[in-house]
Amino acid sequence: MISDKILKSINNLPAFPATVHRVSEVISDPDFSVDDLVNTIKYDQSITANILRMCNSPYFGIRYKVSSLREAVVYLGRESILHVVYAAGTSRFYKKVKGYYWGAAKLWEHSVGVALMSQILAKKIYDREDSGLFTAGLLHDIGKVVLGEFVHESFQEIMDLVSNQGYSFLEAEKEVIGINHAELGGEIASLWNFPKEIRDAITYHHRPDLMEKGNDSIPWLIYLADQACMMMGIGGGADGLAYRGLKEVVNKFELRQRDFEKSIVLLLKDLDEAKELLALVDNE
Amino acid sequence: MNQIVVGISDLKVSGNIGDMLITYALGSCIGVAVYDPGVKVGGLLHFMLPDSSIDCNKAQKNPAMFANTGIPLLFKSCYKMGAEKKRMIVKIAGGASIMDDINYFRIGQKNITALRKIFWRNGVIIDGEDIGENHNRTVKLHISTGKILVKNSANVFEEL
Repeated sequence: MISDKILKSINNLPAFPATVHRVSEVISDPDFSVDDLVNTIKYDQSITANILRMCNSPYFGIRYKVSSLREAVVYLGRESILHVVYAAGTSRFYKKVKGYYWGAAKLWEHSVGVALMSQILAKKIYDREDSGLFTAGLLHDIGKVVLGEFVHESFQEIMDLVSNQGYSFLEAEKEVIGINHAELGGEIASLWNFPKEIRDAITYHHRPDLMEKGNDSIPWLIYLADQACMMMGIGGGADGLAYRGLKEVVNKFELRQRDFEKSIVLLLKDLDEAKELLALVDNE
Repeated sequence: MNQIVVGISDLKVSGNIGDMLITYALGSCIGVAVYDPGVKVGGLLHFMLPDSSIDCNKAQKNPAMFANTGIPLLFKSCYKMGAEKKRMIVKIAGGASIMDDINYFRIGQKNITALRKIFWRNGVIIDGEDIGENHNRTVKLHISTGKILVKNSANVFEEL
């Protein structure tokens, strides 16, 4: 049961930019035209500006200097357009985050880290990239943006459970506040009309083992990418590494220790090449 | 005071008493701080993974990424500035793990083990440590005094 105060906070969130969902629709047609796509995006000035800021990032590997939205759309290609548009549309929600110590810019850095790592793992495991996975990575901790205020109010109580009573941070949030940041994130994604697979990836990103078996590879990949970023301290906060490890993940993907470590090396390189993505959110 | 930030997979050394070396967000990574009070030279390493055999090219380009390439480079860089091994103070922090992290991807544990092996083989004694558990840490080293501080789980700096 979500308390009225929390419910009020999520209802007060600005709507998710309609442009982003429309881009996703346009692009889902295999024969989409560049004109349609440019016309969909260009009226949202903030997203257009963010796209131009990002697309010269080495991460996207464009060898030409891009100076217009049309060029960006042409050179980026289908998967990367989605990555850029979701990053451009999502970053605006990372303005102020209380309760986890390190603020909005760090939470955004962590979110981008998880999105990048999810692609590295998907390439390694399934030999493909996946824009749904990228979006889920960017949004997996969106619940913290709202819950942070409540975590801040009850911080001592939460930390006491974590430090002295063996609770994970997630369990302590639930015990003290009544909902954890993953569940709340799922509620927010639902309010923003995200498809079920992305909502589930957010809701279950710390406990993919609690999902029904079957279509659960996105939540497991986000879980694994999140664990890698927590271990590497990428945008880490007060909750640190105080989350449960699930050994089933090894059998799920048949990933060897060596492959996991190699993926971490690649992540550091991608983060270095994706500075323009990180720069979308300023320090508070 | 001049603050010098040591990133992930990075190391810095200094003999300037106005400097303070700092590294943030050590999760499973380990921060190694060394200091020679005789010449007031110190260094700080933030390594990420235990062993460079997973990517030797990377280790050549960026030795600070791995324990087995970063730790020797940290000491050698300090020797170049006049530090001597027998006087050096060595302190470590980090190596945290995910909870119940018994069976897989134990990077924090492996980092700690790799570091202890290297130190043992080279006769290096650890003068202070704050390792393991499951929280992030920040480490700073003041070159003027050799004081090494670690930010603990309560978000407060304490001398190590």
